[in-house]
Amino acid sequence: MTAPSSTATPWRALAGPVRYRLGQTLRVDRAEMLRYLGYAGQDMDDGLAARIERVARTVEDESQARGICQVFGVEDRPHAQTGTPSVHLTGTVVELTGDSVRRHLDGACAAAVLAVTLGAENERRLGTLARTDPLEAALYDAASSALVEAAADAIDAALGADAGALGLTRNGRFSPGYGDCPLTAQRPLVDALDATRAIGLTVTPTGLLVPQKSITAFLGLFDGEGAPRDAARTCARCALIEDCSFRKRGARCYR
Amino acid sequence: MERTLTDALAGDAHLLFDGGMGTMLQAAGLVAGEVPELWCLTHADAVTAVHRAYVEAGSDVVTTNTFGANRLKLAGAAAVDDVFAAAVACARAAGARYVAADIGPTGALLRPLGTLSFDEAYDLFAEEARAAARAGADLFIVETMTDLAEAKAAYLACRENTDLPVIVTMTFGEDGRTFLGTSPEVAAVTFDALGADAVGINCSLGPTELLPLAKRMRAVTAKPLLVQANAGLPHVEGDATVYDIGPEAYADAVRALVDAGVDLVGGCCGTTPAYICLLDRIVSGRRPVTHAVEPALTVTSAQNLVALPQGAGRIAVIGERINPTGKKRLQEALSAGEIDYVVSLGISQQEEGADILDVNIGLPGIDEAELLPRVVEALCGSVSLPLMLDSSDPLALEAACRRYPGIPIINSVNGSPESLEAILPIAARYGARLVGLTLDEHGLPATADERLAIARRIVSAAGDAGIAPERLLIDCLALTVSTDQTQAGETLAAIGRVKRELGTYTTLGVSNVSFGLPERPLLNATFLAAALGAGLDAPILNPGSARYRDTVNAYRVLNAQDAGSQRFIERYADWTDPYRAHTAPAPAHASSSEGAPAQRDTGAQPPAPDGSALQRLVISGRKGEVAACVRELLAATDPLAVINDELIPALDEVGARFEAGTYFLPQLMASAEAAGAGFDVIRAALPADAAASKGALCLATVKGDIHDIGKNIVRMLLENYGYRVYDLGRDVAPEDVLACVRAHDLKLVGLSALMTTTVKSMQETIELIHREEPEVRVFVGGAVLTRAYARAIGADFYAKDAAASARIAEQVLG
Repeated sequence: MTAPSSTATPWRALAGPVRYRLGQTLRVDRAEMLRYLGYAGQDMDDGLAARIERVARTVEDESQARGICQVFGVEDRPHAQTGTPSVHLTGTVVELTGDSVRRHLDGACAAAVLAVTLGAENERRLGTLARTDPLEAALYDAASSALVEAAADAIDAALGADAGALGLTRNGRFSPGYGDCPLTAQRPLVDALDATRAIGLTVTPTGLLVPQKSITAFLGLFDGEGAPRDAARTCARCALIEDCSFRKRGARCYR
Repeated sequence: MERTLTDALAGDAHLLFDGGMGTMLQAAGLVAGEVPELWCLTHADAVTAVHRAYVEAGSDVVTTNTFGANRLKLAGAAAVDDVFAAAVACARAAGARYVAADIGPTGALLRPLGTLSFDEAYDLFAEEARAAARAGADLFIVETMTDLAEAKAAYLACRENTDLPVIVTMTFGEDGRTFLGTSPEVAAVTFDALGADAVGINCSLGPTELLPLAKRMRAVTAKPLLVQANAGLPHVEGDATVYDIGPEAYADAVRALVDAGVDLVGGCCGTTPAYICLLDRIVSGRRPVTHAVEPALTVTSAQNLVALPQGAGRIAVIGERINPTGKKRLQEALSAGEIDYVVSLGISQQEEGADILDVNIGLPGIDEAELLPRVVEALCGSVSLPLMLDSSDPLALEAACRRYPGIPIINSVNGSPESLEAILPIAARYGARLVGLTLDEHGLPATADERLAIARRIVSAAGDAGIAPERLLIDCLALTVSTDQTQAGETLAAIGRVKRELGTYTTLGVSNVSFGLPERPLLNATFLAAALGAGLDAPILNPGSARYRDTVNAYRVLNAQDAGSQRFIERYADWTDPYRAHTAPAPAHASSSEGAPAQRDTGAQPPAPDGSALQRLVISGRKGEVAACVRELLAATDPLAVINDELIPALDEVGARFEAGTYFLPQLMASAEAAGAGFDVIRAALPADAAASKGALCLATVKGDIHDIGKNIVRMLLENYGYRVYDLGRDVAPEDVLACVRAHDLKLVGLSALMTTTVKSMQETIELIHREEPEVRVFVGGAVLTRAYARAIGADFYAKDAAASARIAEQVLG
């Protein structure tokens, strides 16, 4: 890759890495938390509603969310080992394979990679509640899932504002495991961000993030108004389409 | 004055380390996500050039480019041995005076939060340590650690596989803790006790932010301190990564660190030779001040330090409830390997205010050496208190001590030669604190004089093993006053004399004193107060007893441990003294809350429940009212009829509502909990041999998967439906599932996997079970599974949700 001047590549001003200590600034989206619990408008008594609200607040109060975001150049090139088409994040060893990634980043001038985690204390709380109070654990889990989404949203929004100021637009977040992008992409992404050191995020040999309430994602940055509507978030290519509990009641797992 | 490693580790000289390696390699072309350690093999000249620049800047010690050179991270790209050989060669070629072999984290999270075991981590580090020693390194730096257990595994691997000095540094965030919650004090005390040559802090923050953390370490350890800060935070400018603290500002901040008692200095991310050469000027011609810390009994967990400074008169409460003696429920749980129950005893004692937890799992037929480390690991995932490991089996003590994240107390050694010989080396090896019982091969002597003599013998033998008196807690042992009334006095006299004459700490289980007398809690609490007055430091008691808590809370005002009496006021400002309340019609025994807490509302107004009332309670998930209702019913109804005519139909109705979508998950779970409360009452009412279990099964989240919320919900549901559930947890190997099936003669297994990558191990587990135990049925569930997918991997049933698993259990087990 030749290094173009920064005037031709305005995204370079966003390069980062930018670290985020999101802490108690985040809110649990109550509707999303309920959605994770399978809520679809059922009658709920005041006791349960109050309990859900209390857990949501606890998760907000106990939040130690941290994040990191870095922007990389992208280039289409054959994968170094397999030769299959892939998207290479320049200045890193990351090569993202699969049609859905390539579609998602098609036409992008750069890709922002972000990682967020609620941290080890959240993980410990989940484990403790699972042993002592399963219902509370289910509520805490749902609230934590909503909160880590909020953490990713916060970084996404900050990035969007900065990108907008530079005349760039962005598309939606795409994570390993979506479409045909394998979970094996987790480790290179975490390594490229040095996220173990920066925010305490680790990857198991099977490609799972620990702490569990963590997200890695990348999104495309486009010159001008060029961000195409995000292709990943439809049910069409989802492996669960046949047996999806959300679809069965006319809902979707995404907003 | 030449700065030597030997002098530096003796606290007599400063020593200058190097700065960032990754920073320098990135400037030389290393790209993000690349394995930097491979450059020792592929770009040896570039690595040597970095080292040489540091040597020229004045570094006495250069650190090898081996941060991630473990088998896990190298992932087959190179052999650990080769990388270390090349790395040390690069450092030597640069003319380094001392070469420190760098040992960074494995990159995987250890159990209980992650999946890597302590022993696996140890093996990875041991391979590195041996490679480094063979390659000719002079010392080790274990660094950038955030997990105390992992740091301990690395430390022990270096210590046990080589003769080289070992320095351990950990990484702390803005909140003054590592990502896993370890404080500077815990890190310093733990590695001081384990025998590290120096301890310290590296990475994460700039030197100014690290100053208060270094001071906190300095306050608790006399070991040499190493601080290697970052040059602030990085950002990209143009094509280069720059850090926001320049060399001059960095050096100014390091000067403040040295003034605060830091002996060994250097840099981490973002620091370059330009920074290091300025540090050379700070330490040149300077000698460290002598460090001293006040003697104290210190005990650590990964998150907590309990410290009793000598002579300060503070006390620490040791919770006694994890001990199966006389506790039927705990005996059953231990026999069934039900670790969750043990953990729940730990959680409740922590909530009740214990400072340390005693952990005793000794029962006939239990392999303590196998079970104790597992119990300890599980406790450490849910309880932040330091532990006291309590066993008569030296193998169990060593197995648990070794893997324990922190510095535990061992309970116990006694004055017999056999006991001293077996236990002292374990305490010495792992820096453990130690309870010494004042008895020996001749038994427990009757007088304070004789007990003091045994204590003296223990202190002397411990001293010979390198264990100082402030690491010992002498237990002068309480006997029953109803047998010999002089005994309480002898125990109290012995406590006072041990403290005065031997300089150790004291511990005591107080409840023995009252056997055979009425109103035991009253006697126990009074004896506790007397023992505290005699100088008892660490009473072993049930923190769930309000009577004990009242005594401890009051005593902590008198010994000034409760500063400003703040906690006392908080707790008792609105308290009703049970003595004052005795004229009111309230229960006479309100103060003795042992056993039956807060069940005053039961039977207040007879609700005359009929069947439909109980069903309504279950269906609406009102757990609190179910027990009373079931008790009423049992007065007139056959227990099995209550199950079959009341609870089961109610659960069926709840299941139907969930299926129809008129109930959602929390409602299903609340109803299951309510039914479970009913089953508990019925079970207690039935004779032991007529246990109303509907059958047993085991559940597991498969190998490689760590997401267990779905499995936990299924367990909760099935337990409350009356099934016996063996929950094997998460990341469970196929063989362990099979072993459980065989051990309990099970007919049904439930497996959960949340990710596509782990469905493969689900398939392996199913295949193993079907091959070895063909009559066993397997049901599966989890986000990525579908009916078709479940069939394809050989599952007998697909549970699309928790309610479905209950129907499957009913179909298979009845």
